[in-house]
Formats: sequence, C-alpha cells, structure tokens
Amino acid sequence: MKGVLLKDLYIAKNNILVTLVSLIVLGFGLSFLLETSALLVLAPVASTTAVFISITSDAISKWNKNVVTMPLSRKQIISEKFVFYLLLALVGLLTALIPCIVLMSVNGGIILHALYLYGVIGMSATLFAGGISLPCAYLFDPEKSQIVFMLSFMASTGIIVGLVLLLNLLIPVKDNIPLAFTIVLAFAALWFLAGYRIASASYQRQDIT
Amino acid sequence: MNNALTVSGLTKTYKDFHLDQVSFTVPGGAIVGLIGENGAGKSTTINAALGLIRKESGQVSILEKEELDNDTKEQIGVVFDAGNYPEILSPRKIGHIMRKIYHTWDEKTYFRLLDQFALPPDKQIRHYSKGMKMKLAICTAFSHHSRLLILDEATSGLDPVVRDDILDMLLDFVQDEEHSILLSSHITSDLEKIADYIVFLHQGKVVFSKAKDELLEQYGILKCGAAQFDALEKSDLIAYRRMDYEWQVLVSDRDKMHRKYPKALIVPATIDEIMLLYVKGNT
Repeated sequence: MKGVLLKDLYIAKNNILVTLVSLIVLGFGLSFLLETSALLVLAPVASTTAVFISITSDAISKWNKNVVTMPLSRKQIISEKFVFYLLLALVGLLTALIPCIVLMSVNGGIILHALYLYGVIGMSATLFAGGISLPCAYLFDPEKSQIVFMLSFMASTGIIVGLVLLLNLLIPVKDNIPLAFTIVLAFAALWFLAGYRIASASYQRQDIT
Repeated sequence: MNNALTVSGLTKTYKDFHLDQVSFTVPGGAIVGLIGENGAGKSTTINAALGLIRKESGQVSILEKEELDNDTKEQIGVVFDAGNYPEILSPRKIGHIMRKIYHTWDEKTYFRLLDQFALPPDKQIRHYSKGMKMKLAICTAFSHHSRLLILDEATSGLDPVVRDDILDMLLDFVQDEEHSILLSSHITSDLEKIADYIVFLHQGKVVFSKAKDELLEQYGILKCGAAQFDALEKSDLIAYRRMDYEWQVLVSDRDKMHRKYPKALIVPATIDEIMLLYVKGNT
C-alpha cells in the first residue's frame, strides 16, 4: 500500500501544499473578521480534494488497469484511497490549528471548547462527505469524482443538521453541545466505514478495462 | 517449468461480443503470439487471464497457480498498449513507487534500461512520445525479475528500430525455461521473428493454436483459376478467397498438396496471409 500512497502523494503534492499554505494564510487573514477557530470546520474537507485529483488522474491515465496487475489486492488499492483521505483530513485539521493556536495565545488564552467543537464539526463533515463521494467515485464515473465530492460536502452539512435535530429530540443539544457533536462524529466515522465497505465490495466485482 | 500460463474454456459475454471457450497454453521458456483482428478478443482474453475482468466460466492457471495472489503477481510483468502511468510522474518517481510495490524490484536494472532506451529519468511522462511511454512500461516490466511477461499490443506505435531492440530483449528474456512471454500484436512480422507458438483468435474463438514453424513451413497458399478451384477436394481447403484474377486457397500441408495437385502454384504463407484468409475468406 505504501507504493500507491507515495504515488498519490506525488500526484497531489502541489495541490496539498497550496491547500495547506492557503489554510494558514486564511487563518491569519480572516482573524480580523471571524473567529479563527471556525477555519477548523473547512480545513479537513478542503484538504481532501487531493484524493479526488488522484482518482481522476488514475482514471485518465488508466493506472487502475496497471495497478491491479501489481502485487496488491483490490482491497489494498481501495483501502489506500480511504487512508489517504483520512491522512489529508488530519493534516488539514492540524495545519488549521497553527493559526488558531498562535492567534488565541496572542489574543489571550486558547478556548479549547471552540477548537474542539469546530474540529469535530469539520471532521464529521469530512467523514460524511468521504463516505458518500469515495464509493461514488468507484461505483460511477471516476472522472467526475471531484463534482461528486463537492455535492457530497453539501449533503454532509444537511446530514449533520438532520442528526443534530434528531439528537435534540433525545437530549437538549444546546446544553450538551460537545456531547451532541461527539455523537455526530461517531456516526460520521461509522458512515465512513460503511462507505469503505461499499467501495471495497463494489471494486472487488468491477471489471477494469 | 511446465506451462507458465494455461487458459482453459475461458468465456465472457458482453452485449455485443462473446469470448467463447478460449483455450491455449504458454509453455515454459516459450513466446506465444496472440493474433487476431481488432475486436477478436485478444485484450479480453488477457484481461480475463489477469483478473481485470470477471470470467463467466473457464480456468486460468498462471505459474501453476489457479489463484492470482500477490506472490504470483510479483512474478508477472504486464505491459498495456497505453503505458498506463500517471503522466505527471517521471520515470524516477515511478521507480520509487515500484520499489515499494515489488519486493523484487531491481533499481539497477531499471536505471540501466532507462539509460539503454535513452529515457530521461526526470522528465515528466506527459512530455514523452508514445514510443517512449511504451519503452518505459517495458523497462518497468523487466525490472522486477518477472517469470512471465504479458504484453498487450506493446510494440504498436513504435518505430522499427525500437521494435527490433525490444524483440531482442524479449528473445534474451526467454533464454532459459524459467521465463515465458504472451504477446498480443497486430504486427505479425514481429511474431514471425520471435514467437514459438501462434494463437489465432477470430470473433472470440480460437481458430488455431500452433507452433509458428509448423505454420510457416507447412501452410501454403494455393493459387489457381476457377476451373482448377472447382476440381479441388473441399476437404483439402482450410479457407479460400476469390481475388480479381485467381482463387487463393489456404492449405495446411503444402508438400502434400503439391503432390496431389502438381499443376497448382503453391507458395508459403505468411502469418498475415493466413490470418487474412481466415478472416476475409470462406472456411
């Protein structure tokens, strides 16, 4: 799996660097207008666009046909994309934390609660979006995976709102914000895992030509 | 080694194409040429043998294993007609990637081959010509100590000089019985140079699977007029075709036909001519 991960890093290197630098610049730049920690909502999902660049590149170059003949199982090939997605989301989150922590320290104290909340919302949105878009990239046309990804991010915000409203029926969300959003994150993780299973099962059966 | 590849009763159906009970073998130490017109089923056969597409029925055994696991795949080098590497990468980066994929990756051989084919290691593949991309794919296939090479139209798009270099490499590769090659190609002259066996596919079926020497030394084309054609015993004809001024008849034993029809003109047949008579003639 390391080989294909390296291949994706080579393909998306420039995109990853631009995204990460943009996140830091945005973090400092927007601090005059917004609470910097809000960047944590967007950072993980913005960082994962590189995965879809690699999926599109694989489809265009017909790499998929080549890689299946190499000593890698189809499961390993699919797992790599999901691992790559998770790694990018975490790197994006950690990068966005840099301006947050710097600015919060300068402006007087780090508000852990805000960092946690926005970070959890960001990761939840990313996991929901990945759980939709990654299987779709293998079930349908991989060359359109970037469009599917954008649509899935919009869908993920809808899912989060829906889940919060549902949770509100069981527990008062306003009084239990960290708990409610931790439950949402747990759902998102399960959703992402289900997406992996679906993509993996679909790819096992797929004819690659 | 016995057979490097055994394909038996391979069947696959698409909406407009049917691969019908395809069977052939690639013996150890041999080069087998897979020929046939476009859409005959060459790539479908290779794709099914490599597990890229699901077969409906039939068995494939590669290096004496029925299951294509990672250990077996480690010993197979595959070259497709388009190269199939991300164009943003350079050969050096491809080398780094392959080193992490193949346990048997041989960096020295890889860079020696890149040098031999004059492929700049740091130039992005998108700036390579089609021929250079094919050479890169061949360098990669040769750099992990494969025992079986499978090349799908790998020499198409290459100039004759480079093709000749590659054919020499393929001949070197099979010098011992441990290495074998399955090579599908439209360029039958290449196969005449290097193949030991020819498998001819037509409309999804194996028309014949024979030793190349048998085809070139025994097969012939009997050329005759209409009256002489009518006098021929139909069981002697494999395929025939009416041309402008003559009939062309494919026969499987030209010496025997010479004896039987002493007045007939019988010339040796090339693989191209054999293929054309099967495809365009009547059988």
